[in-house]
Amino acid sequence: MATSDDEEPKLPAHLELQRTRVVCAADAPSYTESVQYSGAYMAYGVDNSLRLEDFRKNHRVDIVSLNEEDIEFDIVGIDAAIANAFRRILIAEVPTMAIEKVYIANNTSVIQDEVLAHRLGLLPIKADPRLFDYKSEEENANEKNTIVFKLDVVCTRKGERIMNGSVKSDQMKWLPEGSEMPFHTKSKFTSYGSTQENLAGISSEGITIMYPDIIVAKLRPGQAIELEGHATKGIGKTHAKWSPVATARYRMLPEVNLMEEIQGKLAEELVQKCPVGVFDIEDVGSVKKAKVARPRNCTLCRECVRGDGWDKRVQLSRVKNHFIFTIESTGALRPEILFTEAIKILNEKCQRILTEISF
Amino acid sequence: MDGGMGAPPPEPVTYLCGDCGADNTLKPGDVIQCRECGYRILYKKRTRRIVQFEAR
Amino acid sequence: MAATMELGSDTDPRNATFSISDEDHTLGNSLRFVLNKDPRVAFCGYSVPHPSENRINVRVQTTGIPARDVLKDALNDLTAMNQHVMTTFDSAVERFKANQGMTELSMKSGVTSQHSGSVKKP
Repeated sequence: MATSDDEEPKLPAHLELQRTRVVCAADAPSYTESVQYSGAYMAYGVDNSLRLEDFRKNHRVDIVSLNEEDIEFDIVGIDAAIANAFRRILIAEVPTMAIEKVYIANNTSVIQDEVLAHRLGLLPIKADPRLFDYKSEEENANEKNTIVFKLDVVCTRKGERIMNGSVKSDQMKWLPEGSEMPFHTKSKFTSYGSTQENLAGISSEGITIMYPDIIVAKLRPGQAIELEGHATKGIGKTHAKWSPVATARYRMLPEVNLMEEIQGKLAEELVQKCPVGVFDIEDVGSVKKAKVARPRNCTLCRECVRGDGWDKRVQLSRVKNHFIFTIESTGALRPEILFTEAIKILNEKCQRILTEISF
Repeated sequence: MDGGMGAPPPEPVTYLCGDCGADNTLKPGDVIQCRECGYRILYKKRTRRIVQFEAR
Repeated sequence: MAATMELGSDTDPRNATFSISDEDHTLGNSLRFVLNKDPRVAFCGYSVPHPSENRINVRVQTTGIPARDVLKDALNDLTAMNQHVMTTFDSAVERFKANQGMTELSMKSGVTSQHSGSVKKP
């Protein structure tokens, strides 16, 4: 059936711009709200509702870079509400292991007990939190919910040299058999049924502090520290030490459009203005023209629209449904696993509410 | 009613000299003076009890 | 311990406020977004009654269907979207790792082949 339109009615260009782009003028951004109401474009016959097949068709994920610690990827087709939910969950609700209880037997250093305990809590632990259970206050500490570390350092003077002047995080020893404190008693702070070395999923190197060179305390000859740290599972919401990411952030894909041809001296000026190299000069015949080479680098500093008449020549905008995510892990879990866990947690939340309203 | 230190014999406590840092064991009633350098200010050592902290 | 209470009228199940405890903007905003996209919804919104209390109120007013069903559908849609994002992401990671593996192999073995053959003009 041939019609004058395309198969589906489309919005006029200016409305499409408002719907899909945040226009960043020199003074302020416009069209920042995402148009979510399903009937918003009823007058044009365009259906704004969520149709899962369309979502699946338009959705795309492209990984830009990935290594042990960071991941940068593009996710296209979701809304800011969902992207923000993932970011919030990554920062605050993906669980990790961190030292919670510190039992100090001896501390003759100048670092106060509570300051030392606070520093130990912030050390990132290289243990997969999915292998462990949460521990509540009343429960006993056992091999499934607690990891025990011991720190036993004495600073001495060997002739000219000072041994153990700086206490580094690799001096924290993992105790796979459980706590050794209190000394000289039969029952200890933890009651391990079996050694943690045999726990399913533990790597052959065992459990360590992620980075071996973090300075925990500094000692002078004669000072000693003897303590045990018990690590439990928790989430970033309770205390930031349990956050699995150094940070997780996203930005929308920048778009830079030249509203008119920029040639010659103006083109060179434009290329000079941009601090991150978004523009390039293209030699067409004898004329130097400016073109947008790397819009992805744009940091929206608005240098290119500053000055006389420039805001008519360059238009900065952002694509509303294209997000560039960067996740920097502290090391307990790989960054791509972190993102998958975050999605699982969002699903668990939905499931919980579903079961609660279903009866 | 129940005395605090009645039954167990008072342990010999070691104090640290403020000047030379030597250990001095003193019993109740001893003169407060360092055995080695004669300094009269002695500090008590840190307790041996295990203290628990929350790493927060 | 977390309860989801529906505050509505017995005679008119179309409009209701769902008071969900132990939740915050993370779920509230995403749920509101999915609800808005449903054509059967006349009005929807969420609020956090007090920041010290971990609770959200989600208001749903529909064009005829009971509000509870619309909320259930929205939750199911959100779950389906998440599942799809997860599978797309996982396959993208697989692809990237496979590509990385191949470029590393070709870098290790194929450096000498750079100079063989003709020079390609752009």
